Formats: sequence, structure tokens, C-alpha cells
Amino acid sequence: MKSIRIMTFVALSMGSAQLALAQEPVTVGPGGEPATPVSELTLSDTEVAEIQAGDYTAAFAWHELYDWSSAVARGAKDEFERLGIEVVAETNASFDPARQQSDVETIMALTPSILISLPVDPTQGASTYAAARDGGAQIVFIDNTAAGFTHGVDYVATVSADLVGIGRQTSLAMNDALGGAGQIGYIFHDANFPVTNQRDQAFKWFIENVYTGIDIVAEAGMADPARIEDIANAMLLQNPEIDALYVPWAEPAAGVLAVLRQLGRDDVQIITIDLNEPAGLDMMTGGAVAALIADEAYAIGVNAARAAAAGLLGRDVPAFLVVNAVIVGPDNVVEGWRASLNQDPPQTILDALN
Amino acid sequence: MTLAQPSRAALQGLIVYAGFVVIFLFFAIVLWDRGFVTTTNLSNIVLQTAPATVMAVGLVFVLSAGEIDLSFGAIVALSAIVAAVVMREAHWTIGLAAGIATGMLAGAVNGAIVAYARLPSFLVTLATMGIIAGAARQISDLQSISVTAQPFIAIFGGGRLFGIPSLILWSIAALVIGHIIYRETRFGAHVRAVGDNPRAALVSGIKVARIRMSVLVLSGFCAGLAGMLYAGRVQSARYTLGESDLMTVIAAVIVGGTALYGGRGTIPGALVGSLMMGMLSNGLILMGLSVSWQMMIKGLIVLVAVAISLREPSR
Repeated sequence: MKSIRIMTFVALSMGSAQLALAQEPVTVGPGGEPATPVSELTLSDTEVAEIQAGDYTAAFAWHELYDWSSAVARGAKDEFERLGIEVVAETNASFDPARQQSDVETIMALTPSILISLPVDPTQGASTYAAARDGGAQIVFIDNTAAGFTHGVDYVATVSADLVGIGRQTSLAMNDALGGAGQIGYIFHDANFPVTNQRDQAFKWFIENVYTGIDIVAEAGMADPARIEDIANAMLLQNPEIDALYVPWAEPAAGVLAVLRQLGRDDVQIITIDLNEPAGLDMMTGGAVAALIADEAYAIGVNAARAAAAGLLGRDVPAFLVVNAVIVGPDNVVEGWRASLNQDPPQTILDALN
Repeated sequence: MTLAQPSRAALQGLIVYAGFVVIFLFFAIVLWDRGFVTTTNLSNIVLQTAPATVMAVGLVFVLSAGEIDLSFGAIVALSAIVAAVVMREAHWTIGLAAGIATGMLAGAVNGAIVAYARLPSFLVTLATMGIIAGAARQISDLQSISVTAQPFIAIFGGGRLFGIPSLILWSIAALVIGHIIYRETRFGAHVRAVGDNPRAALVSGIKVARIRMSVLVLSGFCAGLAGMLYAGRVQSARYTLGESDLMTVIAAVIVGGTALYGGRGTIPGALVGSLMMGMLSNGLILMGLSVSWQMMIKGLIVLVAVAISLREPSR
């Protein structure tokens, strides 16, 4: 079942690394840990065999299920299957921290060897995950870490997208779309959500410092995605010279597309983040969307499972593991969808390919 | 049908208890080796349902008076956030008072509009639900607010008295006090009379408007208290607290034997209904079902339970 992806909420669960705009931003973990590429985490054949013989079990305590987290879950489940680890429970807290705490406590009645979870509310993570830690589960977090938990003692690792990497790829895609020069409007997420904040700021840094042929001629904050049409409309009316727009994620991009159609502006391009069907279909049918940038969500799940297995073996695992981001354009839409979500694009997009 | 109406009604009142036992036995057998019947898990169910149980007690009064409150889930979050915000600056007891007062004030606004402006409670509380949920987001700026006052956490969250977890004590207190007020006081009788036939209640001298106002204030108080229990349990307040409880608590109360259209209710039934809902969530997770299946099966069981509970006795 395909759920609605609301990237806003993913942002709720991220760390608070701040970017210093004076120098090139780097991705760091929620507690300032250096980022380690997931490629550095591997299991040898001997270790896989040892895990397979171990009769281990795993459980998921999700914050919410939608297409991004489902892709993460699929990656983890596939890796657990390869490792012979049985998944015994899966819960969905619907962004309610009290419910997530209840879910973790309930799951621990099954005493799983592994718990994988994206904390709804990192600040209260210590009470949420106390039962799992005390029950001896190897805990691997996605995106954020429970405050008060110590790496290597209370949890194995945190696996996340490379947020600065996403910003870098987004700026590269913008540069390619404009052929190295142009004027753009920059719409950023105007709320205290570290995930979107880091991506937005990284995009802006690379445009201003690396792709200097591109000028940001208008900036606007978007606090409420429902108001995106007003923002885009005002920006384009006041700055008709704009060649392209940066939109912080794909859902509000649909509103920007509506404004472009209404204004008859078929000369403005859009670069945005996340894979979704309407934006992808627009891109494939020669619309305004020039490229979509996506993290490798499936790989986050695979590597969360792998990190947990390494934890079972008593191995040291880096505190903060990150996956790559891919630029998905009309030429690599199938490959891009597979790289990010490990599945083919929706049928409408495949049809548009032919 | 040969059964006399009272015995049929009495039988229907017992359905929730029978349903509880059946579901418990089912999970106990199916999940025998999967942790369901351990002391820890069973006490988890009671602890986790404590806030919902407290909300359910308030809702029994509201439904019995022939009204409904759709805003109590939002009041839970707002009360918890107000308490947490005040506690950052002042003594925890002042935060507690502010949190409970917030719940009662929200209930009083609901009650005043319903009782004196004579608007339907369904629409009034639907509207105030949005307003209150928005206020909770505005005050908290969509952030979690930590609760660090240890006495507060002990009393409303993880503490124990005579070895009994405080959340269980709060559930018992809500049950006993709620039941006494509902069954043994003139106020309780008036609530049922207003729900059963408001015109007759008015003619017999009952202050119908005041009763309607009172039940909504009571519901606000219970939601505020539930907010304190959540804040103590998770040691923080966040705008999503209580939001998912609305339908669960309404289902628990109806399944427990309280009439949706007033006049009849039961506090012990609401407790059992609440525990049944908690047990269902718990058991379905332990069965290892996917989240989608958990939702569908829980919905189906609630549908069956509500259908049985709501069937009118044959006349």
C-alpha cells in the first residue's frame, strides 16, 4: 500500500547540526559525530554465516509509514532475510511519542535481538528506548538518535541520508539544468526542521560558492506547504526574470507547477527533492521539473540491518553512517528510482518513457 | 423474542466483559510462547492505557448527557504543553495547576457554547478541536518540550506508591471516583436524566444547561489529567500527544456499554473497554502482523464489538 510521503515530518526527527555558511558545510550526526559512508560497513562471509546460525530476531518501531519509510523498511527486511534474522514485530507510532514508547515496551515482550527505529522525539528518547536497552536489544536508529544514549553502549549506530550531500547534488542538478548560468528563486522551508534546514542551507551554499554563474534573485520562506502557490505566484510576478526555482521538497512542487501553468510560464524550471509520482510524471512529459534529488532510502534500511548484525557480533560500528543521494532526471528515471527506493517508477512514469 | 427487555439489556451490558475474556483467551493461547501472558506485558497494557482510561471516564459523562466531545484529544496535548512550558519557569505544582486549568477552561468554552448558545456539541467540539490543536502547535512551535521536574514525573509517570505504579493508581482513582459520582450522586442521576430525555429533565426541575456545561468541563478536566499522565510518562510534551486517542477512547466507551445517544453509561465498562482496546493493539503487534493488517483487524473487531453493543434491545 502506498502511503503519503510527508517530508515535513521526517524533518521532525533529525539532529540539530548547524551549518556555518562561511565555510563548506559538512554532514554531521545528531551529536556532532562525523559521517561515515555506509560503504565502509561490510560483513564477511564468516560473519554472515555466524549471524545466520544465531537464531536472532528483529523488530521495527516506526515513526510513521509512507513511501520513504516503507522503502527503508523494505531494505532492512531484505537484509534481515539474507542474514537469517526473523522479523517478529512492526509498529507505527503515527508521530505520537507516547505511542512509540508503548510500542517499544510492547515489542520487548518478544525480546527481539535487534530494534530498528526512527525516534519521533529525540529529546525524550531515553524514556522511549529504555525498555529496549534494558532488554538487551541491539538498537539502530534511523536519522536521529535518542538524547542521552551513548554510542557503542546504548545503541549501535545511526543511519541517515547525507543531508549536505543532498544539497550538493541539488545545486549540481540546478547548474546542469541552467547550463551554468541563470537567475533562480530559492524557496526554503521556514521552520525549525533540521533535515530540511540542512538541505536548504547546503544547496544555497553550493550555489553561492561553487556555481557562481547562478544568481539567487529572490528568496522566500515556506512555513506552511499549503501556501506554496501564494509564495510562488508572488515570487514570479515580482521577479519575472527567474529561470528556475528551488522547491524544498516534491509535494509543494505540485503547487508551483499549478502556478506556472496558470501564469503560462513554460520557460521556468523546477529542481526539488524526493521522488513522487506527480513531479516525476511532469519531468517525463517535458514539464517544468528538470530533476529530482533522492536519498538512497532502501540502502538506509539495508545498512541499518547490517549495522545491527555487526552489533550482535560485538563489532565496533561507526556512530553515524550516511547513504548517498542520486540525481534523477528524464534519462535515468528507472535507474534513479531503483537506486533510491529499489523499485521501478510508477506505471504512469514507465508509460511516459515509451 | 421471549426474553424480557431488562434481562436482554443486562446481557448486553455483560458483552464487554465476555468480549474482554474471549480476546484475552485468544491472545493467551495464540501468543503463549510470544510474551503476551507475562507480568511485564500485562502490566504494560494497563500502564499504557491509563491516559485513555482517564479520558474515557470523562467521555462517559458527556455521552450519558446526550452530548459528545471531539476535542478531548487536542485538549490532552494543549494541557501537557501548557504544563511543560509553565514548569520551565515556575514550580512544577504551578505547571500542573496551569495544565489542569487549561483542560477545564477548554471544556468550559465548549460547555458554554453548547449549553448557552445552544449549538450542537458535535459541531462545537469539532471546531474547537481544530482551534485547540492549532494553539498547541503555536505555543510549542512544533517542538517537544522536556519535562524534568522529578516529583511530577514520579507522581504522573514512572513512580510507585506501596509498590503500585502511579499510572495504575490514577486509573483506579478515575474509576472509583468516576463511578461513585456517576452512580451514587444526584449529579450523576441528573446527567443520565438529561441524556435520556432533556425535556422531561427540564420539566422536573433539573438545570439542563448547567449539566451540559458541567459534563464538558469534566471532560476537559479528565483530558487535562490525561495530558499530565502522558507528560509524566514520556517526560515531555508534544502537540501529537492524545491525537490518536480520540477514536480509540470513543470506541472503548461505546464498546463498554455507554449509549451513544445518552441516558445510559457505565464507568467500569469504559475501563474494560479501554483495556480491551489496549490489549488488542498489544496482541496484534505481538502476533507479528504488519501495520496495515493490525489496523484492519483492529477496525474489524471494534466494528463487531460496537455493532453488538449498540443493538437496541428488541421491544
